[in-house]
Amino acid sequence: MAKEVKLPQLGQTMEEGTIVNILIKEGDEVKKGDVLFEIETDKATLEMESPAEGFVKKILVSADETIPVGQLMVILGEKDEQLSPEHSASVSAGGEKPAETAAASAESVDAKVVKLPQLGQTMEEGTIVNILIKNDDKVAKGDVIFEVETDKATLEMESPAEGWVKKILVSEGETIPVNVPVLVLAGKDDQLPQSFIDSLVGTEAAPTPVEKAPAEKTAAPKPSSVETKPAPVTAGRIFASPRAKMVAQELGIDLSRVQPSNGLRIVEADVRAATAGGVAIGQATAPAALPQMPEPAYKLGQKVPLSKFQKITAQKMLQSKNQIPCFYLTVKVDATEMVKLRTNLNQTGSVKIAFNDFIIRAIGLGLKQFPEMTGQFKDDHIQLAEEIKIGLAISVGDELVAPLVGNADKENLIQVAQTSKAVIARAKDGKLGIEDIEGGCITVSSLGGFGIDSFIPIVVPGQTTILGVGKITDTCVPIDGNIMIRKLMDMTLSIDHKVANGANAAIFLDYVKKLLENPQALL
Amino acid sequence: MGFKIEDMRKKATPKIATLIKDGVIKKEDALDWLRTIHEIRFFEEKVFDLLGQNIIKGASHLYAGEEAVATGAMAAIEKGDVIGSTHRGHGHCGAVGNKYAQTEEERQTHWNRMMAELMGKETGYCKGRGGSMHIADVDKCHNIGSTGIVGGNQPTAVGAALAEKYKKTGKVVLSFFGDGSTNTGTFHESMNMASTIDVPLVAIVENNLYGMSVPFFASEVKGAGRASNVEDIAQRAAAYDVPAMIVDGQDVVAVFIAIREAAEYARKNNKMMMVEAKCYRWYGHSRSDPRAYRTKEEEAKWREKDPITVLSDKLLAEKLATEEDLRAIRDKAEKTIEDSTQFGIDSAWPDPAELANDVYVEESYPQSLIEAEKKSAVKALEATDAFEAALKTIEGKSKKEITEKSKAKIKDEYGVNVLMMKEVIAEAQAEEMRRDKNVIIEGEDVGLYGGAYGATKGLVDEFGTDRVIDTAISEAAIVGSAVGAAIRGLRPIAELMYVDFITIAMDQLMHNGAFNRYMFGGHAKVPMVVRSEGGVGRCIAAHHSKSLEPWLMNIPGLYVVMPSTPYDAKGLLKAAIRSDNPVVFIEHKATYGQMGAVPTDEYIIPLGVADIKRQGKDATIVTYSRQTMFALQAAKELAEKYGIDAEVIDLRTLKPLDIDTVARSVRKTGRLITVCESFVMCGSGAEINRRLFEYKYEDGRTGFDYLDAAPLNLGAADVPPPMSEPLELASIPSVEKIVAAVRSLV
Repeated sequence: MAKEVKLPQLGQTMEEGTIVNILIKEGDEVKKGDVLFEIETDKATLEMESPAEGFVKKILVSADETIPVGQLMVILGEKDEQLSPEHSASVSAGGEKPAETAAASAESVDAKVVKLPQLGQTMEEGTIVNILIKNDDKVAKGDVIFEVETDKATLEMESPAEGWVKKILVSEGETIPVNVPVLVLAGKDDQLPQSFIDSLVGTEAAPTPVEKAPAEKTAAPKPSSVETKPAPVTAGRIFASPRAKMVAQELGIDLSRVQPSNGLRIVEADVRAATAGGVAIGQATAPAALPQMPEPAYKLGQKVPLSKFQKITAQKMLQSKNQIPCFYLTVKVDATEMVKLRTNLNQTGSVKIAFNDFIIRAIGLGLKQFPEMTGQFKDDHIQLAEEIKIGLAISVGDELVAPLVGNADKENLIQVAQTSKAVIARAKDGKLGIEDIEGGCITVSSLGGFGIDSFIPIVVPGQTTILGVGKITDTCVPIDGNIMIRKLMDMTLSIDHKVANGANAAIFLDYVKKLLENPQALL
Repeated sequence: MGFKIEDMRKKATPKIATLIKDGVIKKEDALDWLRTIHEIRFFEEKVFDLLGQNIIKGASHLYAGEEAVATGAMAAIEKGDVIGSTHRGHGHCGAVGNKYAQTEEERQTHWNRMMAELMGKETGYCKGRGGSMHIADVDKCHNIGSTGIVGGNQPTAVGAALAEKYKKTGKVVLSFFGDGSTNTGTFHESMNMASTIDVPLVAIVENNLYGMSVPFFASEVKGAGRASNVEDIAQRAAAYDVPAMIVDGQDVVAVFIAIREAAEYARKNNKMMMVEAKCYRWYGHSRSDPRAYRTKEEEAKWREKDPITVLSDKLLAEKLATEEDLRAIRDKAEKTIEDSTQFGIDSAWPDPAELANDVYVEESYPQSLIEAEKKSAVKALEATDAFEAALKTIEGKSKKEITEKSKAKIKDEYGVNVLMMKEVIAEAQAEEMRRDKNVIIEGEDVGLYGGAYGATKGLVDEFGTDRVIDTAISEAAIVGSAVGAAIRGLRPIAELMYVDFITIAMDQLMHNGAFNRYMFGGHAKVPMVVRSEGGVGRCIAAHHSKSLEPWLMNIPGLYVVMPSTPYDAKGLLKAAIRSDNPVVFIEHKATYGQMGAVPTDEYIIPLGVADIKRQGKDATIVTYSRQTMFALQAAKELAEKYGIDAEVIDLRTLKPLDIDTVARSVRKTGRLITVCESFVMCGSGAEINRRLFEYKYEDGRTGFDYLDAAPLNLGAADVPPPMSEPLELASIPSVEKIVAAVRSLV
């Protein structure tokens, strides 16, 4: 009866051993306890003794070979015993060879396995949000094939190679670790063996030996940096003790309306004090209390005399409506970053910056980029402005004036703020010069301060457009599948259609919006 | 009999036939010795093989080559005699199991359970909790087990011998240990203790010449080191003035004769004897040992004296057996081991759901007792307050007179005594010693001196030196012998003068005291108390002032008790002595003179029940030991000066920790301040925090949810406690610090 001698584990940590010396040869008779080999382990060189007696029928290892624990080394048998077929088989196989890998079959059809790239340093896994291809589609290198949600954002995953989609290995909504195959590309008429596909499904992040594509081909596609959405930030965190939160929940108190008495975090006592003060969820969502209103300034039926300025305004507005065929475009600007930046700047800087200053500066840059938005219709041509001057509609007493802020295309935000401050001061002092009111190409009119969400302003004759700016409102916005609270601001642009078409104006307005959403660019 | 060495190798070993003729043994005994030796050998060879196949995992200290020592020794002792084993203990366990096997079936079961234990199976002797290095049949074979720490089981064996002597069982203890262990501190502590307190112990040194790779005395291999300048370990018996023998450990007959003589000497005289058996292990220290430290020639020479060959040759020469008989014995042994291997493989794994079983002996107290105790605790506190008030109002010529008058007043009004901490500690021990004969005390200066802090004062007069045992300054042996005595049925109280000295006894306390029950699969219990004192307060610097309870809380299998008042100390100490689990009971050095009211009737305080020493609603102060007094003072100040109503919880027992009481309080107050004298890093306060955070209330919320402020932990500064008084005081929480901490949170 043949007996197999396998490499024993000669120590707790031993996983493999190197055969330093073979002390037997085939045909030798060995006794139990005879030293067969000298084996070098991770700890020492040890003598390996025969676990049984018999004649050496076959030695399956050679000197200097390193083999794992448990590998067959020697077959012992009776003196004249012939090895049985299964033993012969193991002899010819020389131990266990790794099974044919999928690699080989993949190579024959030149398949490209596309794996989920690491789309950011901290990304460990991604969720397939959208699959933009289907089987048998042809994709070019750089085509967007998936939308992948990572720990940071939802990103477009580009194809690292071209080819025909042979098999999509993931489904929408599935979350998979980085480096797991997601797609197989191959030649148009290539057939992929099922065994190869099977070998890819459930493959862990370990590199597959199959991989033929050079490393750079599978390198992570770069998400477009310009178009990246602003990183979601959590809305202003309320610090409250766990107990305060619990009590607030029980009593229905809105913690955002509770002040921490210790200045650090809201504690239970603060919540209970707030209850006494009448803050509750029900009231938190109710409309703000009615303001105290003064006596009405006018009586019904009264004739109100026209002021000089109102007369001029009436004429100009009529003129505008008669001569300027307008169309209107509205966008929502995410002003969160702008608000944050303004707060920061105003905490440290000497010049207080108004939201209008951001908008004027953004328009200045916008008109510099799109000068066609400064034009006036002149029968046979359109005359563009000589310089960029932006009107700012303000009330001075009962009067509406729109003094001009120049150089918003050239000067930075701080300088723009200084300029506008000076202009406003002159307006209030009634000291506006002709250069302060002549030659504007656009006016900014803000009614946010009056609680207006959005409105459609009327273009000042002689100008091309006017921008109506609404108030900044905390709004729930879905970002990457999360509901985030963002500060949104409506802007409506009225445009003289004689001068600009919808697309031109839209591109201009969108650019201004993006500048406002990336306010660092305005500095 | 004092020190002398008898070298048995120089004397003629009697013939087996002579032993039979003299009625010392029967022929079957001699044949059975061979069978046992074969069984051990097959067992070890099988284990080596199974380790190689990874069927057995873990350690592999094999006994092959040394079988004659265990076989001869077990044959020489009586049933009921106790053995203590080593990390190379398969032979001891195997041979002693055979001794108690009445039938072939029992013998097979014995080897089955051994093999299953090595495989880590539920059917093993220790349910797979111990494995190779900790295998023992504690119940049936009077085997107090083996340890993985070299020399670790020697103090335990001394304690076992102490128990046999005290209980007058007439039994002796065989303490096996290797040559390597004779250079450890426990060897000296144990031999010295055994020889000075006179216990029936046979110390058997299995000198296999190498401690792992280092020769005990010499090796022919160049570059080999040396562990000793003395070749014969028996010579070390001179240090203890005890008799010793040297015997050929390869010859089972020689071992039998020597151990028989030694055991009889120990039994008759209640004294120890040392027997050095010269032997040799066939395998290396463990699997990964290439045996580079000894020559092939040396190995071959010893192989000629294989215990199997030596005994077989004798049996053949004396015509007590034929070759055929011998082969039959060998085959039978082989079959036993093969069957045991199959049994082990077929056995089930332990159930992970039972992972935490058998760490402790289950302890429970009737709810009525807990409720009654709470009432008496309140009464004791009131009476103590009244006593303190009386001290201030009652007039007298001297302090002593005022005290006596005040005591009388309290006795009158409340019917309780007012006693000092040290008095109640002594009283609690005395009461328990009267109640239970198995309670004994051992330690330094516990006898005539009455304990360094007077906590055993007068006990030796009442209970004698058999029960109040003064020992040498040998902390490991004091604690280790208490473990051994506890396993053998006593309820020892070991006093360590300072808890700082527990560092020297830590191996004994943890590995033997706390772990034995679990590692023996729940088959042992260790009902012992280590009494000690700790804390700062006497300007004696860092070696005498620490609070090491977090170390002890960190040990599964131990209980830790730290009382703050005389009332608590008495009731808790009595409960600790009655507990079937090892308890460390730490008094605070600044409290021994503290006076407090103590009921005249007998009472015990359940372990694991905290005491609310002051009710409050604004903040929860959790503390224990002396800091309880500071916390109570702080609470008073907080109420009087700042209108803050703090609750003070005295944990009393740190393990088990009464987190329920803490959590209930925090639910009320929302604020937690822990106060203790142990180092704040990884300290008891941090642990209380953790437990509270994770605590689940019946409303589904956690302790975290109920917090209204981040908890504060006051503990000892992360510095060695300094000697200088201002520094010493600065290193621990004080009344002012507690007041400030609470105010910062409320």
